[in-house]
Amino acid sequence: MPSVVRSASPRHNGITKFTNCRLLRGEELVWDDVWVSSATGKVIRSQTAFYDEFIMPDEVVDLGGRILSPGFIECQLNGAYGFNFSTDNDMPQYGKQLRDLNKKLVQTGVTSYIPTVTSQSRSLYKKVLPYLGPSGASRRPQDGAESLGAHVEGPFLNPTKNGVHNPAILRVAESFSDLEEMYGAANLTPASEFDPAPSSPSSSSSSVRSRSSSDPLSSAPIKMITAAPELGAMTSLIPALTARGILVSIGHSEATYEEASTAVTAGATMITHLFNAMRPLHHRNPGIFGVLGVAPAPNDQDKRPYFGLIADGIHLHPATVKIAWHAHPAGMILVTDAMHMVGLPDGRYPWTNGEGEHYIVKKGNVLELEGTGIIAGSSTTLIECVSNFLNYTGATIPQALRAVTATPAAMLGVDGVKGCLDAGADADLVVLSELGFPEKGSEREGGDGRRELVVDEVWKFGVRVF
Amino acid sequence: MRFFIRDDAPAASAHVASYIVERINHFGPTPAHPFVLGLPTGSTPLGVYKILADKYKAGEVSFENVVTFNMDEYIGIPRDHPESYHTFMWKHFFSHVNIHPSNVHILDGNAPNLEAECVEYEAKIQAAGGIDLFLAGMGEDGHIAFNEPGSSLASRTRVKTLAYGTILANSRFFDDDLDQVPKMALTVGVQTVLEAREVVVLALGARKALALQRCIEQGVNHMWTLSALQLHPHSMIVCDEDATLELQVKTVKYFKDIDQVARAEGFEQILPSKVRTGPSKVPTTIITDEFPAPTILSPQPTTSRLLRATPATEYPLRSRSPSPDASSARHLLATPETEYTQNTEYSMYSRASTPDLMPDSMASRIGDPALLRRATPNPDSQRLTPRAVSPNLSAVPRTNGIKV
Repeated sequence: MPSVVRSASPRHNGITKFTNCRLLRGEELVWDDVWVSSATGKVIRSQTAFYDEFIMPDEVVDLGGRILSPGFIECQLNGAYGFNFSTDNDMPQYGKQLRDLNKKLVQTGVTSYIPTVTSQSRSLYKKVLPYLGPSGASRRPQDGAESLGAHVEGPFLNPTKNGVHNPAILRVAESFSDLEEMYGAANLTPASEFDPAPSSPSSSSSSVRSRSSSDPLSSAPIKMITAAPELGAMTSLIPALTARGILVSIGHSEATYEEASTAVTAGATMITHLFNAMRPLHHRNPGIFGVLGVAPAPNDQDKRPYFGLIADGIHLHPATVKIAWHAHPAGMILVTDAMHMVGLPDGRYPWTNGEGEHYIVKKGNVLELEGTGIIAGSSTTLIECVSNFLNYTGATIPQALRAVTATPAAMLGVDGVKGCLDAGADADLVVLSELGFPEKGSEREGGDGRRELVVDEVWKFGVRVF
Repeated sequence: MRFFIRDDAPAASAHVASYIVERINHFGPTPAHPFVLGLPTGSTPLGVYKILADKYKAGEVSFENVVTFNMDEYIGIPRDHPESYHTFMWKHFFSHVNIHPSNVHILDGNAPNLEAECVEYEAKIQAAGGIDLFLAGMGEDGHIAFNEPGSSLASRTRVKTLAYGTILANSRFFDDDLDQVPKMALTVGVQTVLEAREVVVLALGARKALALQRCIEQGVNHMWTLSALQLHPHSMIVCDEDATLELQVKTVKYFKDIDQVARAEGFEQILPSKVRTGPSKVPTTIITDEFPAPTILSPQPTTSRLLRATPATEYPLRSRSPSPDASSARHLLATPETEYTQNTEYSMYSRASTPDLMPDSMASRIGDPALLRRATPNPDSQRLTPRAVSPNLSAVPRTNGIKV
């Protein structure tokens, strides 16, 4: 009689099973297993693999009860580890520095992000944007964090709400050609309509986008534009942008409630760092924040925009964070707005800001534009923002994690691929442990009863990278 | 029958789980000599699966060389449907232990030919060496697997239509939509279960009390299919206190006493060691008038006089009979005296239909056509010497079972 027990396949199938862990599934942490494949870089349907393909995992990872979350998605990051996306000082090194950044950034739990370029000159956009487009097509885990497309924050911003953006280079768009002229037509055009072999400096670099029309993530290098809708013809240009798969976010704006509502109706789906660089809430004209208070029409789906919150403890008062979250829990996205000084020691750092010499002074987590006292972005990490949010609001861990996973994925139109652990999604994972959670019996660990989430491990495309 | 009463459901589940672990570990399964486990679905075994998974994770048991056969599966719903038994087993057991997918057998309710699937399933059980331990739950109406009341106690793996009440009850799992509820299922038969070398049944809760009473205190009855367990040489029932509500105090006390005494003496009520570790032998149902075969060391499921009318005939297994069709069977039963001439091929009907003594030509049992031509109605006038016949005899398998 031939042996009925077949020996386990000696061939490595690259499948890892995570067990003894709590998975972020919607509003809950669920005790369950996840199977990921490093061959496809995706979460696989374990039951089908078992019954239909007779697959056993190569490796079983016992997480000892820790939390397994989808990889974080950062929607506002200006640079990190000394590298600023908005720089053209050293273009030959740009691609290398970007690759270094991606490898370091992924260790913070951020597995995908939209690199943010602040208001800059035309020439800088055209130089850097080809590097910043979607970079996940290669599906190489060792590349680290993956760009989902660039976020251009400006220069079509309101000069009175410029923040630290150089008002001298802010522009008003009257037509789509103004946008094309500023960013470069190629950077606004989805891949399928675009010459597959651009003569950009990117084609020789391995970390820059490799476009493929079959990849759903492949789109124009620009994924999102932050603009002030009340200026020029910007509101009327929104449909043309969204038709190209480019998201429009309201920010650095004096927009009234009415203007913001019109922009949302036209297709704006996001608000860039809510409360910062916009009119404060006034009870008779609630401004941009007011659009979160719109009740959806009966039988109509919720069309309120998503909104980013900088929960670094400096940009917003904790109570403000909580109010905004309660206004539209499903729309809240935690962002860092971190500058390239994140991860660097305190000091005075040069900063490209359109024209002229500028310096940002870093003192602890506070960044200020030298000589102005204006907050110049943050130097926090996304996981710190999540922990802050937990402490500010008393939210549950799933509610907090959702703001850096499922919600940004939905905002960016990559839900089901990023920001979730469902079968078929990319196997970008973060292993988190909790400090200071009373229910875990470690009340003292976080100090002062502060609850803290810590990134223990990061997996990209089914491979451990941290 | 061993019968254990535990205080509550977790204790009863723990008893069963520990017993299974003990059996597997004592058996010492190897790739060539795997432990073959029959498994149920439903709410009753959930606790057992949980404990088995925990014991696996604690390193107390390995399922590396365990082969499993599941009892049943719905027909016509996808394997990954949340209510399919594939999903159930994956969710509650297989995903938590180191069992190899090629060692897992669950009936395929989407097979193009369901009857062939059933035949093949029985063949797979045989090929695996028969089932060492069949774990089962008990239905409220005393059913085992989908063998609902009225199922033949000699049944084998087959297609079963679900009772309307069952379909109604199941609709709660299918959005209360009757159209989505499977109307049919594939299930192992009562006989399939009885052929396991050991059957362990778990009965939990007051709802099972009546069924338990029928299966333990009353006779073998196809309206309570699990009562057929009384015919099994190595059966075990484990229940919680609630499930004993319909039993006589005498019964409960009796079994509790045995349990207590055995434990006090340090003598576990376990199987004979040869059965627990012995090499797998495919059990064959023996239909006999004399009860000769099974001993405590070689347990054989016995279909006794009680069941002898029709041994499981739906699906012939490895029959060498060219065409064992049902009409000839009826014909045989109607006219016993013709049996000896018609029964020249090895068919599953090759046994006396009444216990009356009948003169018999030995040659007629051999089935070699060449010999049969030489057989005469009157054995006394037969001139052949026995020696001339014997070489053929040795090549002839026994014909008194349903598998020849």
